[in-house]
Amino acid sequence: MAEFLLEIGGEEMPASWLPGLTEQLRQRFVEIAGRERLAPDAVRAFGAPRRLVLVAAVVDRQAAREEQVWGPSMRAARDAAGRWTSAAEGFARKNGVSPADLGQAAKDPGRPDELSLVFLRKTAGRDSADVLPAVIGSLLRSLAFPKRMSWDAWIDDGKGAFPFGRPIRWMVALVAGRVVPFAIHAMVDGARGPIAVQSGAQTFGHRFLPREGAGRPLDVASFDAFKRTLARHFVLVDPAEREARIREGLRSATADPIGHDELVSEWRDLVEFPTVLVGRVPDEFAALPDEVLDTVLIHHQKYVPLRGAAAGRVRFAAVVDGDGANAAEIVRGMERVVVARLRDAAFFLAEDRKRPLAERAADLEGVVFHQGLGTYKDKAERMARLVDAMGTEMGLLGKEDHRTAREAALLAKADLTTLMVREFPELQGVMGAIYLATEGAQRSEVARAVRWHYHPLSIDEAAPPTGSLPGGQATVFAAVSLADKLDTLAGYFALGLAPKGSSDPFGLRRAALGVIRVLLDFWDAPDRKRPSLSRLIKEAVAGYADILKGPPTATVEGGLELFFLDRLEYVLAARGFAQDEVTAVVHTPAVHALDDVRDVFLRLQALHRARADAREDFEHLAVAFKRAKNILEQEPPAAIDPRLFESDAERELHAAVGRLGARDGSYEDRLRALAGLRAPVDRFFDDVLVMAEDRKVRANRLGLLHQTVSLFYRIADISKLGGPI
Amino acid sequence: MTLQEIIAALQAYWSERGCLIHQPWDAEVGAGTMHPETFLRVLGRRPWRVAYVQPSRRPADGRYGENPNRLYKHLQLQVVLKPAPADVQDLYLGSLAALGIDPAAHDVRFEEDNWESPTLGAWGIGWQVLLDGQEITQFTYFQQAGGIDLAPISAEITYGLERIAMYLQDVDDVYALRWSADRLYGDVRKEEEYELSRYSFELADTDLHRRLYDSYLAEGWRVLKAPGGRSALPAYDWCLKSSHAFNVLDARGAISVSQRAGMILGIRKLACAVAAQYVESGETGADRG
Repeated sequence: MAEFLLEIGGEEMPASWLPGLTEQLRQRFVEIAGRERLAPDAVRAFGAPRRLVLVAAVVDRQAAREEQVWGPSMRAARDAAGRWTSAAEGFARKNGVSPADLGQAAKDPGRPDELSLVFLRKTAGRDSADVLPAVIGSLLRSLAFPKRMSWDAWIDDGKGAFPFGRPIRWMVALVAGRVVPFAIHAMVDGARGPIAVQSGAQTFGHRFLPREGAGRPLDVASFDAFKRTLARHFVLVDPAEREARIREGLRSATADPIGHDELVSEWRDLVEFPTVLVGRVPDEFAALPDEVLDTVLIHHQKYVPLRGAAAGRVRFAAVVDGDGANAAEIVRGMERVVVARLRDAAFFLAEDRKRPLAERAADLEGVVFHQGLGTYKDKAERMARLVDAMGTEMGLLGKEDHRTAREAALLAKADLTTLMVREFPELQGVMGAIYLATEGAQRSEVARAVRWHYHPLSIDEAAPPTGSLPGGQATVFAAVSLADKLDTLAGYFALGLAPKGSSDPFGLRRAALGVIRVLLDFWDAPDRKRPSLSRLIKEAVAGYADILKGPPTATVEGGLELFFLDRLEYVLAARGFAQDEVTAVVHTPAVHALDDVRDVFLRLQALHRARADAREDFEHLAVAFKRAKNILEQEPPAAIDPRLFESDAERELHAAVGRLGARDGSYEDRLRALAGLRAPVDRFFDDVLVMAEDRKVRANRLGLLHQTVSLFYRIADISKLGGPI
Repeated sequence: MTLQEIIAALQAYWSERGCLIHQPWDAEVGAGTMHPETFLRVLGRRPWRVAYVQPSRRPADGRYGENPNRLYKHLQLQVVLKPAPADVQDLYLGSLAALGIDPAAHDVRFEEDNWESPTLGAWGIGWQVLLDGQEITQFTYFQQAGGIDLAPISAEITYGLERIAMYLQDVDDVYALRWSADRLYGDVRKEEEYELSRYSFELADTDLHRRLYDSYLAEGWRVLKAPGGRSALPAYDWCLKSSHAFNVLDARGAISVSQRAGMILGIRKLACAVAAQYVESGETGADRG
């Protein structure tokens, strides 16, 4: 085996691309090198902003290959006199032998008597060094980027123009320490120009470090030497090493937990040699709401806020690409940017507070929600109307909650007119809550609902507002959040703007997932009446009755129902349930899943647990139930008349079904009893001919089968387990 | 370094590297990219290197001279290198050194930031260059202009002159910048910022600007379609004028969400038609040099 080392060096790749690109590089190499019989092994890939690196073991030489090349059949290969025909001679000549040297074998193993001429072609393996240039070409072509760019490059592989993620400026390609030749040309006037990048055995370190000699080429012969040399030249090739250095830097900056894992991961891929520096937010800004400070620090500057022991003191940690020399001046620069932004924020906050939020709600008349769907004032009023429907007509909210939710719905969008939200759109909702909180303590629950109503944004059970809204306080939030999302969905669907393919410009999938999650996770108190999503859809679509003249209401509602069913299955599968269990529960004939979404989850949980302990019984019954359903498709069943039973097997099954049907208890208890059906069902199918001659007997037996398979329809359609047969 | 010394240093640096030093375009533009020496010269195949300062008007960013960071009109120094040389990033870093910025003593980074101009049908791939967390330059590999795929690819380097000067002079108020040895930025521009902000937020006649927008576009199309061709440049001037009229209306809050997309499209169509004629006449007219 030989070590293959490839470094694609160039200009800064976006940090968010690196993890995916690195993994692609590894996988594609395994595939391509495997196809080329290089037996790739121990394949590893690494990424840093200015380089993608691959190292693998490959064979020194491809294994030799033998293949059979089939010629004419023997009947066509010799003439009546037994001489070789011209077909046989032609075939031999093509393969460079005489006909007598060819083998004879049966081409079709099913017909051992019919022999054909066959030539055993032996291909010697080629040296890996000779195969790898083409592998590199295919590998480079195979990488998919979120966005590609033209950089006037050309590869001589018959395809020509070579777009990539960012321009490539150098390339290390070594097998067993020897250079694998590969060239990228410049493209001039749409044709091949001079060589722009030639593979070699030289890499480049950090752009600016070490201070003496930065930018000089560095000789490398193996991956180990490559890694060591680069580390000396301030490049940590392995992202894990960069992350470790960042974590160490953060630990010395603060003893408190850091959080912000996503940002820290991004840091790792923004720099080649991370060093953590710490700056300070001047005390005059410590009074700004935490959310505002965090938005400036995290989202705009990619700094991690550090709130430590000293109250009212905020520091921040930042990553720089370098060794940390001259830290004081760098930090001063960072602090200056932060201060400029915070000064803006403080100004906006003061300006915004000059008018109470309730007054701003009227300004929403001037803010268009979407062309054809009215303004945000219209939307707020539709949201309030939906809250009313939940409160009075559907009986889902107590009087006090209804009043609070209504007020929150009317105020939820008011902060869109504030300077703060116009400058920092990610603070929508949050600013509304902050302004409301200072306008009066009695509004705390309104403020909470306003703050969170754009959530949930993720289907993860632990994602916000979980943890921020303990049980009893979630009702008002849930009502406003549902009203907002359902109104949005109804409006866009009514305009015919349902998402298609992968494009979802209005975030409708996320809105629907948010609805599902509210119903699953925030409406779970056992004593509370649960909403019917079908009904809510109708109410939401009705909200557009005055302004829309589009497709009929039923079409819009139907489209939304299908959309939600799909999203519901997606969430349940994402929560770890098997797809067949999800289907069995969501698509069971006796219940419409959207009438009670939380109930779907409870049934699914019961099915999952009961089945886990009696897997074999469930699989067995699923097969039997499928069979029963197939039979039932042939003829309609009749009501059961026990007098028509002819055998014990029928009576036994009827009794068992009767017992199970009368059983009380939780979904899980009832499903656990299902195993008791196995023996009677088996016996029924063994002993009884369902399609009996006598029409009455037949219909009666079908009736019994129907009762059996539909016994659990209120919980799940057992026949859907195990997938289709 | 004073602001004018910074400009002189950058112009000298790029002049030594083969750039023609051009002058600002004499019509209102929102960015240096809109200058025909960028927008049109990146089309077609002829090599081109140019640098110039471009005062850029963004009416909606006006703050009456009260905000220390935001301006109705700011200065961009624009460099276009066509085709983009392989060492273009190093060339750029060399220009920072010419301003006395030693990258090894700072945190200089190229962070993903792609550029797009819906009004010009143009977009590119690139970075914002951060100096100790402050964005000082937009660096773009142009991919398309006027709806036309570009080959060769040009590199565009746009310096935010006020930002760089504030960094170098260590001031946090743009009006406190030293423009020359004895004049501050505020001395030169503060009143102008106030009056232009007041105009675009309060005084601009919206009906007139709507008519101007329409008339400019109409004149652009009329000129472009005039028999004999060779009218892309004047047509483009009218395109720029219509874009500025649009920006004034936008600052006045006179454009609804639904109108907005249509008006941008109106400008883009003319910009794309100008680009198409410019390329067509490349062998005989504009590109003849």
